[in-house]
Amino acid sequence: MRILVIEDDLEMASFVKKVLSEAGHTVDVVHDGESGLALARSTEMDVLVVDRMLPRKDGLELVREFRDSGGASPALFLSALGDVDHRVEGLQAGGDDYLTKPFAPSELVARVEALARRGGSEAPITTLKVGDLEMNLLARTVNRGEVSIDLQPREFRLLEFLMRNAGQVVTRTMLLEKVWDYHFDPQTNVIDVHISRLRGKIDKDFETQLLHTVRGAGYRLQA
Amino acid sequence: MKLSIPPFFRTTTFRLAVVHALVFLAFSAGLLVYLYYSTAGYLRSQSVRELDSEVQALAAAFRSGGMVRLNQSVIERSSVPGPFFYVLLDPDGQKISGDFQSIPDEIPASESSKTTFEYQTLDRNGQLQTREATGIIIRLPNQAALMVAYDLGTRSQITGRITTAVWTAAPIGLALSLIGGLIISRSAARRAEALTRTTDGVMQGDLSRRAPVVGSGDEFDRLSERMNAMLDRLEHLMTMTRHAGDAIAHDLRSPLTRLRNRLEADLASIDETNPEETLGKTIEEVDAVLNTFNAILSLARIESGTSSKFEEVHITELLMELYDLYEPVAEEEGLAFDCEIDDGLTLKGDYSLLAQAVTNLLDNAIKYTPSGGALTLRGRTTRKGQLEISITDTGPGIPAEDRERAVRRFVRLEASRTRAGNGLGLAMVSAIASIHSGKLELSDGPGVEDARGLRAAWVVSS
Repeated sequence: MRILVIEDDLEMASFVKKVLSEAGHTVDVVHDGESGLALARSTEMDVLVVDRMLPRKDGLELVREFRDSGGASPALFLSALGDVDHRVEGLQAGGDDYLTKPFAPSELVARVEALARRGGSEAPITTLKVGDLEMNLLARTVNRGEVSIDLQPREFRLLEFLMRNAGQVVTRTMLLEKVWDYHFDPQTNVIDVHISRLRGKIDKDFETQLLHTVRGAGYRLQA
Repeated sequence: MKLSIPPFFRTTTFRLAVVHALVFLAFSAGLLVYLYYSTAGYLRSQSVRELDSEVQALAAAFRSGGMVRLNQSVIERSSVPGPFFYVLLDPDGQKISGDFQSIPDEIPASESSKTTFEYQTLDRNGQLQTREATGIIIRLPNQAALMVAYDLGTRSQITGRITTAVWTAAPIGLALSLIGGLIISRSAARRAEALTRTTDGVMQGDLSRRAPVVGSGDEFDRLSERMNAMLDRLEHLMTMTRHAGDAIAHDLRSPLTRLRNRLEADLASIDETNPEETLGKTIEEVDAVLNTFNAILSLARIESGTSSKFEEVHITELLMELYDLYEPVAEEEGLAFDCEIDDGLTLKGDYSLLAQAVTNLLDNAIKYTPSGGALTLRGRTTRKGQLEISITDTGPGIPAEDRERAVRRFVRLEASRTRAGNGLGLAMVSAIASIHSGKLELSDGPGVEDARGLRAAWVVSS
């Protein structure tokens, strides 16, 4: 994937570049808003990683102008401002996700990859499939092979999110934000417990395990 | 002498006094004019009536005794000093008798006519003066003419009197109204002055200064009360900031020192140790510091927060969702978890913060209640109409004497020192409660003796 990182703090920029490059992506880095916007317009990018506060054009402005001129690449905001209000501002400006500094490298990679995937799928999907696990989004049913699996509504959303990001790492924070819409970290391991319940339903009685724990990062659903 | 407007002329006191004086003067002037016209007018009509009866008396004399009798009467009356003067003319217009020279106006052909005229006379000092008179002229049946008139006094006399009255009354009125105005506005000025002194004191850094409240309940009292409330808030925030600074310095110092020592030790034994493990631990330590730091920041944001972005939050739904989120966790920990949530609970508030407050309480309850215990999440409207969210557990509880302390930031009670946590959880719940005009109350749970449990209730008057 080709990723454009627009970040004025040199150290942070090279950290982001290093993290994303190690995950196997091509990374371009610019250090101010105007050249960032110019590059985003001239070159097709899979994901933009944009700092909120930039010299010569702040991040919000940049993404807004990019969207106004028809730019479709998903954008992830990086910011030291973690307030819900700031987050909402970022999303209203046309951002697709919001990550508060400091963040774990795995969190950044997981979110960027999730964005790139989402950007790719234009046609509405009615079924999701990972290995022999199948989800029908219209009938709201889940099957594994021949076996029908009964899920609570929240478990269904959790699995849906995992399946949409199949093959990629999703972090606990991402799950809490996207599945439960909570933007804070509970001190207890609530997500782990929900995952283990889900695992009990989709993996327990089957030979191949689909829901993997990625140490120090999160989870991955993969056949 | 230098001419400059003394500051007094710019005060509200002065302006109020001037306005008061002007109003008073206008009123006095109106009263004087009214008095003049009503008294003078009355006198005039009184005189006209006397004049009429005088004419009637003379006409009666003519009817009973003809010209001779009339002439007699006129001579008699002219010789007596009085307000009236008379003149009787024969049919040819020659004066027969009376104390006036002639008739100044045209004599009517028949009947009578009224006339007002000026005439000249000598005053006591021998000065010639113009006077005004009004009278009735009648044509007698024998073509003789009779006039009875009375002196209206000099115009200058009348205007002079009025002028004197006005010039006497005006300064007195002006002085009185100024004094009145000053007295009225002085008290207002004094109150305003008190407010100014308070703000001056505050500006010089004395945040304990408060504006005096007299207890009259007037605008000044209300203004003072608002100002005092504002100062209370300001002082509270200042204290908060100071405490937060102290607390940050205090609580970040120990983990940072620990981190530094660890790094130093690592540096000394860098070859022998497993670098992955050491660095992993160091990163964990740094993460803990960052978490604490983030918690401090969000707590500070909450505490200085405003309610401007509050929206209607469906508390029932929020609690049900959190119950669903935590129910598996409680089960995992071997805790029975129940919920009793009334339908249709709502509150004007910040969804995310409310969720966070309940989450913190649930986290605590799950963390401190040993396996086999029970938790209950309740949401209800109390008999007083307040919204109450409570979480009870059967854990060790918090001794009554420590409860107040437990809510303060960074306070970690002895029993919990060994557990993970930054000591901000309850402080944050309390802060979130307070910006929703609510309160966090801790009390005994349903247990007994050593495991009396804890009931954390969050009460908001909705």
